[in-house]
Amino acid sequence: MIRIVVCIKEVPDPDAVNSYAVAGRLTIGDDGRSLVQSAIARLTNAYDEQAIEAALRIRDAGVECAITAVSVGDDCAAMLKRAAALGADEIAAITPPPESDWHATAALLAAYIRQRGDVDLVLSGRQASDDDQGVVPALIGEALGVPVVTIARAIAVAAHGAGHAARVTRVTPDGDETVEVTLPAVVTVSSELGQPRYPTAARSMAARKMQPHVIAHDALVPPDGLAPRVRLERMYVPEAGGACEFIAGDTPAALASALFERLRAEGIVR
Amino acid sequence: MTGEIVACTWSNDRANAHTAAPELITAARALAAPVRWLAVNPPHDAAATAETYGAAALDRLSDAALLRASPDALVEAIAQHAAARAPRLLLVPQTFDARLVAPRVAHRLGAGVVMNAIAIAEDGGVRVTASAYGGDTRAVYALGDRTGVIAVMPGAVEATAAPSPSPVHTADVTADLSGAGERVRVLEPARSEGARLEDADVIVAGGRGLGSAANFRLVEELAGALGGMAAASRPIVDDGWVDSSRQIGLTGKVVRPSLYVAVGVSGASQHMAGCSAARTIVAVNRDRDAAIFRHARFGIVGDCVEIVPELIRAAREA
Ligand SMILES: Cc1cc2nc3c(=O)[nH]c(=O)nc-3n(C[C@H](O)[C@H](O)[C@H](O)COP(=O)(O)OP(=O)(O)OC[C@H]3O[C@@H](n4cnc5c(N)ncnc54)[C@H](O)[C@@H]3O)c2cc1C
Ligand SMILES: Nc1ncnc2c1ncn2[C@@H]1O[C@H](COP(=O)(O)O)[C@@H](O)[C@H]1O
Repeated sequence: MIRIVVCIKEVPDPDAVNSYAVAGRLTIGDDGRSLVQSAIARLTNAYDEQAIEAALRIRDAGVECAITAVSVGDDCAAMLKRAAALGADEIAAITPPPESDWHATAALLAAYIRQRGDVDLVLSGRQASDDDQGVVPALIGEALGVPVVTIARAIAVAAHGAGHAARVTRVTPDGDETVEVTLPAVVTVSSELGQPRYPTAARSMAARKMQPHVIAHDALVPPDGLAPRVRLERMYVPEAGGACEFIAGDTPAALASALFERLRAEGIVR
Repeated sequence: MTGEIVACTWSNDRANAHTAAPELITAARALAAPVRWLAVNPPHDAAATAETYGAAALDRLSDAALLRASPDALVEAIAQHAAARAPRLLLVPQTFDARLVAPRVAHRLGAGVVMNAIAIAEDGGVRVTASAYGGDTRAVYALGDRTGVIAVMPGAVEATAAPSPSPVHTADVTADLSGAGERVRVLEPARSEGARLEDADVIVAGGRGLGSAANFRLVEELAGALGGMAAASRPIVDDGWVDSSRQIGLTGKVVRPSLYVAVGVSGASQHMAGCSAARTIVAVNRDRDAAIFRHARFGIVGDCVEIVPELIRAAREA
């Protein structure tokens, strides 16, 4: 049996954020640091859903595994129950300190994983769609002293010596790369993994009764270990781009000729 | 901690990040601090580059263990150098490898890390402006008085030569990598497919508006007719129409061609994060309100499946 911990984060729906931005209606709250997002749904970060899916595929491949989903955040019980509905056996919510940053988040997750014990594989998304940082998994790996493999499209676990190893197909700028790492390790998952499954009705029913195991930050890390290193001071919405010159023409051929006339006149194409 | 800023670039059998050194040194110089350039497996002309862009010192670190793309050794080498110099800031270019290397080095130094940086300023403390929400917002982070490890987005800073060349103190430095055995074993390396999108002067990118995988051929033909390369938005990579090495954007490649033609691409911020620095953007989209037209210099409103064949014809008419 192997134990997999999947780190999941709740984020504002990125498509909705995009739509608000395009409509010029994305606004920052009075604290100057967060989106005004009453109308924007909160979802599991999409890459983290794919991390759950990766864990489930390892189980589907016949590897006996216990799956824990964990999140650092307030009010994330509904998200965690959904993870349980998908197949997580155990769910845990870590209450963040009032001032937090990704270093504190990683410290808490690493402490949780260490305390949980016998964790073979830590899965996470490649990055969170709110801060776009993609640093938490690498920080967890360093804190635990285990290797980190990023941007997986496929993960297979097999027995290796006395323990297990993961064979990971990574998406790199030069195409796919296959690597092998002895567990324990941290692996981050990317969208190339493919569409995650939906919860079944039966599992959703069962998950409704599950409650996340709630852990206070100070039960895991003493306060001085959580002092933020990076403080979000303010956030703003950048100016929209310039004016577009729309090409006129009655037919596709006329439009194409008119465009190339303009491009050639400006020396953009020869 | 010293007031020094270390700009760090590296090259190995997989990647060469030294091309970003002029941008990093320029960014560091703007903060009115002494700039040291740590070049891991340095290029031959490193000393001249350091002088042109105004690095006061150049540390050249060459080691056979660092020639293979091996993050454990690279992290160890950079962390050792930074621990010894104790710089105020360590700047790295935001490459694929940096996404793993920067946070790991930061952790070893007890430093704060910020990725996706587009500006760095100092006024009573270092403040880093980074893009967030795929580019829909900018976030300003204060680093307090800790060392910062900052990954600078490609193209965020325009490299400019120093006003007057000053002598560069050049040294060959070493790292003790005996304890940095690589824990990740490469079974099948990625096979680089020749021409790189990052180097293309003209790029034609297709999106979901193409309607079908077969229509991606139109994008390839137009790219060919313009002497450029074909690229894609994420959904059509996810759907398997195109190889992932073609993806442009936040989680794909960041490119700066002189001409970027976007066909059936909505222009979501996460896509624009990869191409907004193109000199000229041309968009074909059937929705006049599509976000792409806010970034495009020239736009055609219409069905790309009808329009692109005519663009191919017009491009070949030269
Ligand atoms: C964390 C994160 C990271 C991401 N990273 C990336 C990334 O790196 N790269 C990336 O591209 N995306 C990325 N995305 C996804 C991004 O948000 C958008 O969903 C994506 O870019 C949309 O792709 P698209 O424009 O091809 O498709 P769509 O949004 O579906 O847009 C299709 C467009 O084509 C137009 N159209 C439809 N039919 C026609 C026709 N016949 N002729 C002409 N026009 C037509 C439509 O009007 C529309 O504007 C990321 C998202 C997240 C949350
Ligand atoms: N608050 C959190 N709780 C659980 N996991 C998180 C949290 N923040 C980040 N992660 C994990 O780390 C990944 C990268 O996040 P980030 O570094 O914030 O971009 C995410 O995809 C998650 O898997």
